[in-house]
Amino acid sequence: MTAVARTPCPAAPHRARPDTTRAGRRGLSGLLMAAPALLLFGLFALIPLGGVVVLSLTSWDGLGSISWAGLSNWSGVLTDGTTWQALWLTAKVMVVSWLVQTPLALALGLFQAPRGRTRAFFAVLWFLPLLLSAVAIGLTWQALLDPSFGIGSTPGLHWLARPLLGSPDLALYTVIFVIAWQFVPFHALLYQAGIRQIPVSLYEAAAIDGAGVMTRLLRITLPQLKYTLVTSSTLMLVGSLTYFDLIFVLSGGTGGPGTATRVLPLAMYITGFQAHDMGRASALATLLVLFGLGLSMITTRLSGFTRMDSQQEGM
Amino acid sequence: MHGNLGPGGAKSRTREAKGRRFLMPAVAVAAALSLAACGSSGPSAATSDKGLTMWALTDQTILKESVDAYNKDHPDEKITLRLFANDDYKQKLRVAFGANQAPDLFFNWGGGALNDYVEAGKVEPLTDRQVNLLRFMPSVLKSAAFSGKTYGVPANGLAPVVLYYNKKVLKDAGVEPPKTYDDLSSAVKKLKGKGVTPLSLAANSKWPTMMYLEYLLDREGGAEVFQKIAANGSEDWKSPAVTKANARLQELVKAGAFGKNASSVGYDQGASTALLYTDKAGMELMGTWEYANLVKAAPDFVKKDLGYVAFPAVSSGAGDPKNVVGNPSNFLSLNSDSKNKTEALDYLKNYAMNEQQIDSYLAAGSVPPVNKLEDKLAQTKSAADKQWLTFVYGLVEKAPNFQLSWDQDLPSSQADPLLTNVDKSFLGEIKPEQFGKNMSEASK
Amino acid sequence: MSTTSTARGRHQATRPPVQAAARSRRGGKPLRRTLSGVAALGWTALAVVPVYWLVVTSLRTRTDFTTDSPLALPSSPTLENYKTVLNGEFTTYLINSVLVTVVTVAVTLVVALMAAFTVVRYSNPWSRLSFRLYLLGLAIPLQAVIIPVYLLIIRLQMYDSLPAIVLPSAAFALPVTVMILVSFLRDIPRSLFEAMVVDGAGDWRMLFSLVAPMARPALVTVAVYDGLQVWNGFLFPLILTQSGDKAVLPLALTLYRGQFGIDVPATMAAVVLSTLPMLVVFVLARRQLVAGLTAGFSK
Repeated sequence: MTAVARTPCPAAPHRARPDTTRAGRRGLSGLLMAAPALLLFGLFALIPLGGVVVLSLTSWDGLGSISWAGLSNWSGVLTDGTTWQALWLTAKVMVVSWLVQTPLALALGLFQAPRGRTRAFFAVLWFLPLLLSAVAIGLTWQALLDPSFGIGSTPGLHWLARPLLGSPDLALYTVIFVIAWQFVPFHALLYQAGIRQIPVSLYEAAAIDGAGVMTRLLRITLPQLKYTLVTSSTLMLVGSLTYFDLIFVLSGGTGGPGTATRVLPLAMYITGFQAHDMGRASALATLLVLFGLGLSMITTRLSGFTRMDSQQEGM
Repeated sequence: MHGNLGPGGAKSRTREAKGRRFLMPAVAVAAALSLAACGSSGPSAATSDKGLTMWALTDQTILKESVDAYNKDHPDEKITLRLFANDDYKQKLRVAFGANQAPDLFFNWGGGALNDYVEAGKVEPLTDRQVNLLRFMPSVLKSAAFSGKTYGVPANGLAPVVLYYNKKVLKDAGVEPPKTYDDLSSAVKKLKGKGVTPLSLAANSKWPTMMYLEYLLDREGGAEVFQKIAANGSEDWKSPAVTKANARLQELVKAGAFGKNASSVGYDQGASTALLYTDKAGMELMGTWEYANLVKAAPDFVKKDLGYVAFPAVSSGAGDPKNVVGNPSNFLSLNSDSKNKTEALDYLKNYAMNEQQIDSYLAAGSVPPVNKLEDKLAQTKSAADKQWLTFVYGLVEKAPNFQLSWDQDLPSSQADPLLTNVDKSFLGEIKPEQFGKNMSEASK
Repeated sequence: MSTTSTARGRHQATRPPVQAAARSRRGGKPLRRTLSGVAALGWTALAVVPVYWLVVTSLRTRTDFTTDSPLALPSSPTLENYKTVLNGEFTTYLINSVLVTVVTVAVTLVVALMAAFTVVRYSNPWSRLSFRLYLLGLAIPLQAVIIPVYLLIIRLQMYDSLPAIVLPSAAFALPVTVMILVSFLRDIPRSLFEAMVVDGAGDWRMLFSLVAPMARPALVTVAVYDGLQVWNGFLFPLILTQSGDKAVLPLALTLYRGQFGIDVPATMAAVVLSTLPMLVVFVLARRQLVAGLTAGFSK
């Protein structure tokens, strides 16, 4: 907050006590309250959302003026093999990440859930990756995996001295691994919270019935975690569209080697801000929106976010 | 984070509860407003309102000296110099121009990328009267000249790409510095047998790989092949020489010339440079700026073990082995929307590449692209530097053609497809003939 | 939803016996030792080694970095790299990050609380529509709209300023924030509202003297969640700012990489320094941080 002190700007304005206690102002005050959020959201999220569709029908090199281009960007994007490769890579990152992260997060959540000093200590260690920004993680792993000067030059770890981020066959999986490193602790926290909410009485009843460990896991823990599983999966799947920062840093902004890690957001960024074809980049961005909306429509069916609407009716 | 700094939190302790709640939005809004208002009057403000802005690359330390000199003479209207990493620079510049917030003076490579800005009317043409152009080598100025007008002043030394080598590593392997492609092939085998990386390459950055293709194409087909491509685009990419150059590159890769890990090595991280001076690699193909990097990182290595030669000849090829590729020079160009043109021209005329700068460049092992340099070269004190400077000057002076780096020569929209396909060819993901086809497609 | 997790955490902490019982029954020792135990140990190594490497590398000299074994302690430990970073513009970046985060969170919380209140208070088609819009917002990847946002910011003459990061960041924090606050506010008993109406209170008084105080735990939680997102945000700063003195920490890290280049230890020192503020928050307020992270998702 020292920065505020440095700037010569005036402090907070005098507080004015709005005269709003009269019931007659109800409708107006409601509107006033809803307006700022709608304005902000409309201006910087909804208008751009429409804007991206409009821009996908134009041609703009980022320097000159914007001109109408009809469907040429779309025919270009849809007939370009790299678009489909980017879509495929995005889907692959999404699915493989889910397959890697879910069992790991569940196992770690199971370990973390019971309270105790040792576990708490472990939990603190696991938390470390969560403190680093995606950029920090990208820079660290990029240097760590450098085949010449990274961890591969440790005695006993020479098998790591290979182009993990440089080989087209390995790069995507390395990226998926680093993504897991970043996000598994978060999902473990979700599972931990979920497990802690399972009523103890269920386990007590099972113990009376003489149920074994495996039975308790399969019959009680997992079914009770259904909601957590859906939530965590939704976040993983929808979140996988946004792994831009990490892949950007790990691949040096290119989505390379070759185009091996050029997922849709990165393809969009490169087309727009490196090749300066904003129209075509907007078409890719529209695909990203469609991908995101489709995905959330599927997961919403499962996750029960819609329940809130029905709750609302009851208000 | 949330405790004391949350909305109204800082104030809350001193106010009675009710007042605090009313204050909450007020504080937030005030903070937002003050932030907005201070956007242009914060710590940096003085720089953008008065004086000039200039953008360049991080490694341009000598250029910075000229800015410092200018600032000393003009304390009221200083130049604010911002330095960028190579990999982000072009994108930042483009976005800034798009937002009409570009610097007054900007560093560039000339070529098609500069021409993009020229065609959009963003760059001011420069005349000899304004900035004293005639002091520079005409062959260098050519890279910043479009339709008869010059749009930049050379801002650093000649930067042909040369082949550096580690004398100790080569000697241990019983290898002579290669004069021909066949020499190179056999050197690769011997060095590989010794367990060192024959050619250190930062393939992750892609443009270092492109340097090989540039030279191989030049040696195979001659300078005209790429000149035609740059002029006409599309179909000329399908020239058989392009395929041959790619085949040679892939041949080198298959022979293990670049080691196993090149594709993970990025140039900005310096690992490719480090491999050369830590005796882990035999040779490195790189621009002349690498000399200064080596002097900085490993001065003893430069004195004792650093060697350099021109890129080898290809005996069956049509190209003149005296041709060079690389960056004739970098340029400083003037933003046509600049509000400080007089000052900028003053800088370009009297500070950019003045006598002081020429001496600094020479002292740093870089040859400024100015005429009549022989006397100065002869006066160089350090033996290692003298030998190096004479080599570079001679190389450029005798070169029938100096091809600008492809990614700079072509319009910037083609730079990404070019570098991506270079990378794919290097990785063996595409067949040699596919490179030309892909590029032909991309430049339509 | 989850917003009660802070309260729940506190609640549970006061009931150790039940927890102890839960531990022995729920996890089951043999299982722990096998499946999750192995995962736990493996993951600990995986989480700790890179962080350890990061710290020791930042303490190495440039020369030692190429010669030392990567996981060994530095042969001649030095704080030089930290000095290099701190002598530069690190403080500016830190201040920018703090400013952007605090203001974004403040703006988001204030407007989201008001919006959430209207959604809960009025059940007319308009408020329902607005709520649906925010839900829709949950599905928009922020990357997808960066080009129009960039265009908009240029047209608003805000390019390369801190508000250029704050406003879009706040807009994209709104959906989650509104959703969580709405679900929390719905738990406030209707009778409390009705009592205030009887007292003659209008919406504003209700908001300030009833809703805001009651929503405090939810506000804290969601502030942490939003704060983390903004603190780590990269794309908006990358596209919408350019000057070094407007750079926030994540963007600054990429600048450091370019600036230090070959000097990996200095870059790693910058990474460590950029993480310290989060570490401080973690040490001071771990529980709130955990609750904030799982905000709205742990049900």
